[in-house]
Amino acid sequence: MSEVQRKKYSDKEKNSIFDHEFMPHIDSMYNFAFRLTFDEDDAKDLVQDTYLKAYRFINSFEKGTNAKAWLFRILKNSFINEYRKKSKQPSKVDYQEVETYYNSDNVDYNMTSDLRVDAVKDMLGDEISNALNSLAVDFRTVIILCDLEGFTYEEMAKILDIPIGTVRSRLHRARNLLKDKLRSYAENMGYDTEED
Amino acid sequence: MDKDLNTSSKRKLNCNDESKCFELLESILDGEESSGSKEILDEKLAKCQPCFEHYHLEKVIREVLKSKCTKHMVPAELKDSIRQKIQEIK
Repeated sequence: MSEVQRKKYSDKEKNSIFDHEFMPHIDSMYNFAFRLTFDEDDAKDLVQDTYLKAYRFINSFEKGTNAKAWLFRILKNSFINEYRKKSKQPSKVDYQEVETYYNSDNVDYNMTSDLRVDAVKDMLGDEISNALNSLAVDFRTVIILCDLEGFTYEEMAKILDIPIGTVRSRLHRARNLLKDKLRSYAENMGYDTEED
Repeated sequence: MDKDLNTSSKRKLNCNDESKCFELLESILDGEESSGSKEILDEKLAKCQPCFEHYHLEKVIREVLKSKCTKHMVPAELKDSIRQKIQEIK
């Protein structure tokens, strides 16, 4: 996020920013933290740490600007720097796969999908949620930011410190991986996923 | 959905530039394309079967993600705990 000139807020201003610009995002922040850590206590700690950092560095936040993106960026960095290391959840990331995926921004958009709209519509919340949770954290993150939280590509680029082109390609790959997952659920449900 | 949009008979079965088209469709669904994208989208969906299918699958995936990955309830004590910690560091 672009560096803003440091402010010198009074205590009253700090409290007002904190209450009116930061706290309203706590639901989204907790949901993001929970989907990163899969653990209620870790999610609580992560959100609490994020808010404490936000308060401590409040002078580098410009009042009235995009507080949600600013907070998400702090949470994401805290997760990478602190929680990922001590996470109770064993890493499910296939680094080889991720590495190959990350090698270039050129994405093959030609992947034809035999997954059907009706099959997706009939899926239960748990199946959709499990499919999302099964993705490697970097792929899961872009889908959460884009589809659940409605951030723009530009905001995501700032939150994740990556170029917009990478946001676009990572999102596309994430959705392809998600479709693979949903396709295997659809097959289990007895949907015919073959082409006619 | 408009009924005659569902009839595939008028659409070509192969897309000449799938890669570019799918990228564009996904950007439109993500709200990233604005100028003239509605017209481009309408034309593609009317004329090209692979674009039509890709668009609707991508669209429904976004919809189910948004509607079914519901938010986890924030534990009640979290807000109080944050406020208390802030008081301590003031």
